[in-house]
Amino acid sequence: MTPLLEVEDLRVSFPTRHGRTEVVRGVSFSLGRERLAIVGESGSGKSQTGRAILGLTPPPGKATAARLNFEGQDLRNATPKQWRDLRGRRISLVMQDPKFSLNPVMTIGRQLMEAATRTSQTRAEAKDHALAMLEAVQIRDPLRVFKAYPHELSGGMGQRAMIAMMLIPEPDLLIADEPTSALDVTVQIEVLRILDRLVTDRGMGLIFISHDLRLVSSFCDRVLVMYAGKVVEELRASNLAQAQHPYTQGLFNCLPKIEGGIRPLPTLQRDAEWAR
Amino acid sequence: MGMIDITDLAVTFGHGAARVQAVRGISFSVQRGESYGIVGESGSGKSTVLRALVGLAPVTKGTLALDGDTLIGRRSKAFYRRVQMVFQDPYASLHPRQTVDSVLSEPLAIHGFDDREGRVARALDDVGLGLGFRFRYPHQLSGGQRQRVAIARALILEPEVLLLDEPTSALDASIQAEVLNLLDRVRTERGLTYILVSHDLAVVAHMCERLMVMQHGRAVEELSRADLHARVATHEYTRTLLLASEGYRVSDGAAQGAAS
Repeated sequence: MTPLLEVEDLRVSFPTRHGRTEVVRGVSFSLGRERLAIVGESGSGKSQTGRAILGLTPPPGKATAARLNFEGQDLRNATPKQWRDLRGRRISLVMQDPKFSLNPVMTIGRQLMEAATRTSQTRAEAKDHALAMLEAVQIRDPLRVFKAYPHELSGGMGQRAMIAMMLIPEPDLLIADEPTSALDVTVQIEVLRILDRLVTDRGMGLIFISHDLRLVSSFCDRVLVMYAGKVVEELRASNLAQAQHPYTQGLFNCLPKIEGGIRPLPTLQRDAEWAR
Repeated sequence: MGMIDITDLAVTFGHGAARVQAVRGISFSVQRGESYGIVGESGSGKSTVLRALVGLAPVTKGTLALDGDTLIGRRSKAFYRRVQMVFQDPYASLHPRQTVDSVLSEPLAIHGFDDREGRVARALDDVGLGLGFRFRYPHQLSGGQRQRVAIARALILEPEVLLLDEPTSALDASIQAEVLNLLDRVRTERGLTYILVSHDLAVVAHMCERLMVMQHGRAVEELSRADLHARVATHEYTRTLLLASEGYRVSDGAAQGAAS
């Protein structure tokens, strides 16, 4: 069986005063119908990896790869028409901040309907689908949110509305870039539950980009740890406590614990070797 | 009488239909040298309590006192000399067109401190930045460095009380550890009193001896660090928070599936 997504030697670079700087430096992985996490700190290249898969590297940045296949289709030279058929329908992207990714002059309802018209025959059907999806992401009063503009919603509500929008076309692959970082812990669990069901029941593939090691280790199947544009370690999420790489260990140990731990907290001693 | 006594505090914003009761009757007191935590989700009113204390939010009901003196109306200059605040977002709380030097010198000028030169240098040193950062602008600093500047700005007046509103929630885990260690160290060295507001139970458990859990503007319960370590919580909401902060469990999905 071919994997859902194959990435080989993915590189993303941006021009700077001192020539091109690579922010993603040869990332390779393959994804089945599973939950794959990409973890790293800000600037590690994890978000740029996610965007490059969808061909959304912002210019003047450039993305190259030895291989970038989605269900056997080569994405490297996809035409605009092919991208339109893929983006949103087959591959969806949930971004971190609802403030910047929802259209501020359209009601949530209209934005959801736009996504729903592709799967529904009539407007009424599309509206029902949109409302049902809002309910599925645990929004208590779907009709109010449906009629609201993005600025009338809290960050958590906006985020959930955006997740609902991305899930309406029932994509085969969902790239979620810090989808729950802006949410309260209890809401976070609700959203993860929805994603979890989509993976287990519908066989969706999920790339979960996050800086939260603890969350990722409890939710995902596999974890790629990124540092300075490279994957420094790949491991089963359940084996995170036995991580081999000092960076992964450092990231895990510097978290404060409810049970109480070491004071002062162990800090991460960076090694220039890791970035090689 | 504690360092800070808050009795039956209520804060209401807006009028008529747009009226929001952000805080609905909160009481607690913090002893000198203690570190007190307030935990809650967004909209629980936890930040508003801090803002009411420093006079940034209107007090509708209740009393606030610092070291026995009741705080009414506009806070005096002397108050800000003793109580300083560190805000959540280091990207928004530093003036983009002021250098680190002017950010740190301004409070010294306002409060008429001598030896400003030496104090700025020492403040930068205290937060682990060093003199090389003195003439930089905020955009030339990383998030962690900015938050260190914000802490240096608060500490430069040698206050007795530091109010910390989510001081590390915008930072990476490794940087969070460094900032928490810094805050911990200065408190021990200077015998400061902290009130730390956070949505992260683990951060509060690490930093505070006692904590209050807030929900919908009300105090749900007050716990000690030992209670938290042992996961002893009497209130349902606190238990939910404790469970949620452990991360995701496979049974979360299964339970929902069975119910629907």
